[in-house]
Amino acid sequence: MTQQELFDAAKAAVVAADEDQAVAVAQEAVAMGLDPVRVIAEGFTPGMREVGDLFERGTMFLPEVIIASEAMVAAVAVLEAHLPADKKEKKAGVVVIGTIEGDVHDIGKGIVATLMRVYGFEVHDLGRDVPLVSYVQKAREVDATIIGSSALMTTTMMGQKTLEKLLKEADIRDRVRTMVGGAVVTQYWADKIGADAYAENAQEAVQKALELVAG
Amino acid sequence: MTTIRTRMGDGHAVEMTADEIRSDVVAGTEDAADRGRIPALTEQECDWLVELFCRSDRVVGVDQGHEVVLTDDGSVNALYGAQSSSGVGVPVSREMGIRVYERAFCMDSMEVGHPDYSFKPVRPIVALEQQAMESTLLSTIVPMYYGAMPNLALYARPDGPFPNPADLLPMGKIDEARAAQEEAGEYCFRDMVYVAKKMWEVGADGINFDTTASAGDVEFLATLRAVEQVAGSTGLTIEVGMAAEFVLGMHGKVAYQGTRLAGLYPHEQVKLVEAAGAHVFGPVVNTNTRRSTAWNVSRAATFVKACSEAATIPVHANVGIGVGGVPMCETPPVSMVTRAGVAMVEIGKADGL
Repeated sequence: MTQQELFDAAKAAVVAADEDQAVAVAQEAVAMGLDPVRVIAEGFTPGMREVGDLFERGTMFLPEVIIASEAMVAAVAVLEAHLPADKKEKKAGVVVIGTIEGDVHDIGKGIVATLMRVYGFEVHDLGRDVPLVSYVQKAREVDATIIGSSALMTTTMMGQKTLEKLLKEADIRDRVRTMVGGAVVTQYWADKIGADAYAENAQEAVQKALELVAG
Repeated sequence: MTTIRTRMGDGHAVEMTADEIRSDVVAGTEDAADRGRIPALTEQECDWLVELFCRSDRVVGVDQGHEVVLTDDGSVNALYGAQSSSGVGVPVSREMGIRVYERAFCMDSMEVGHPDYSFKPVRPIVALEQQAMESTLLSTIVPMYYGAMPNLALYARPDGPFPNPADLLPMGKIDEARAAQEEAGEYCFRDMVYVAKKMWEVGADGINFDTTASAGDVEFLATLRAVEQVAGSTGLTIEVGMAAEFVLGMHGKVAYQGTRLAGLYPHEQVKLVEAAGAHVFGPVVNTNTRRSTAWNVSRAATFVKACSEAATIPVHANVGIGVGGVPMCETPPVSMVTRAGVAMVEIGKADGL
C-alpha cells in the first residue's frame, strides 16, 4: 500500500463509520513508519470533513456521524501512542453552549454541540432554557474560548444581546469569542449585537468555531 | 448599469443587476438539483424568474385562471401576535380572527389551533378545543381544519417522560437514543389519533399535521402512522405539512413501507404521505439568509416543481417566514412574499399555498 492509498483508506474508514477498519489503517500506518501527524491530517481529518458535508446535505445522519467520530477517535488513539509528546493532539478549544433562557428548542443546538465534540472541541452543553448568568459562570469555571447561544424565537433572541452585555460586565468578553445561531438569527443580528460569529447550520458552526480559535 | 432593488434571505435590501439576478437564479436551481437529485429548472423557467425579479411592481400576482387555494395555518397567531414587537397585535378571539381571515383576507380554508399548537398539550383540554371547533364551524363557511404539530420533542425530558436523544447521542448512547425516540413516537402517534378523532366527532372538515418531522425521522413515522389510522377511521381531510426540506435523521434507521425516512426530500416525502392516506401535502424548502431571494425562490421552486410532478394529491407549498423562498425576518417584505408565492404556483405548479 502506498502512502496515498493509506490516506485514502483512512478517509474511507471514517466515512464508512467503520471503527475496526479505521484502527486497522492506523496500525498499518504505524507499521509502515509513516508520520502519524500526516496520517491524521491527510487521512482521517478529511474523512471527518466529508462526514460533516454529508450530514449537512442530509445523506448521513446523526447516529452515523457519532459512530464515524468514534472510529476516528479510536484510530487517532493508535497513532497518538507514536507521536512525540509535543505533538500529541490538543483539544481544539473549550466551548460553552446552550439555548437562551425562555427557549426550549434545543435539537439544533444539540447537533452543533455534537459536531463540535467530533471536531475535537471540549464542549460544555448547558442544555435549554439556560439563565444568562449560567453562561458567564460556566465560561469562567472552564476557561472557555467560545460561548455559543441558540435562539429559535424572536422573543428569546434578545437574550443573546443581553449576554454580550453580561460578558462585558463580568470583564471576560475580551477573553472569549461569541457565536450565535438559531432559526430566527441572522448575520445581521450577530453584527448588530457584536457577536463574533453566526452560522447558518451545524457544519458551518464548526468551521466558524475552528476559524475563531485559529485567530 | 441599471440595478434592481431586491432582498437578501435575511430581508435586507440589496441592489443587483439583471445579470447578477440571473446568475443567482441559475445557482439556486442547480443547488436544489444537486441536493435533491432532481432536474434543474429549464432555461425558459429561469428566464421567467429573472423577469419576475426584474419587474418594478411592488406586488405581483399569478395570471388570471391560475389562482390557487390559500390556507392559513398556525391558527390566527399572526393576527393577534404582533410580529414586529412580539407583543399583542389585534386583540381578537380565535373565532373572530378566523372570521377576519375568511371574510377580509379571503382565505379558502382555515385552521383552528390552540396557541400551544402541539398535539400533546391539546390532549388534556380536547373537550375545550372541541367546543372552539364547533363554535367556529357554526359561524364560518370555508372548510375548517384542526391543526397542531406532532412535536416529538415534547415527549422527551424535561418536557416528557422519555430520555432526551439530544442528551444521549453526544454520549455515544446511540441504541438508547433510538429506543427512547421509538417509545416517544408511540405516545406521539396516540395523541395525534386521539385528537383527530375528537375533532371528527364535532364535525371538523380536516386535520392538519403541521411542522411534521421537526424532531426528525421518528416524528415523521409517527405522523404517517397517525395519518393511516385517521384516514381509515374518519372522513377527515388530512393535510401533512413538513418542518424542513429534508427529514432529519435523529434515529437514522426507521422506515415506512420499506423506505428509510431519514434524508428524504419533498418529492420523496410526498409519495409516503400519499401512501399513508393523506389528501394534501405541504412541502417546505428552507431559506438561506446569506443568499438573495432570487437564489432562494429559484431553489424552492425547483424542489416544489419536482414534488408536484411526483404527487397525485394536491401540493400546498409552505410560503412563510424563512420557508418557500420568503426572507427570514419578522415582517417579510410584500414584494418578496408575493414573488415567492407566484413562483411556487407558476413554476412549482403548487395547487395551493
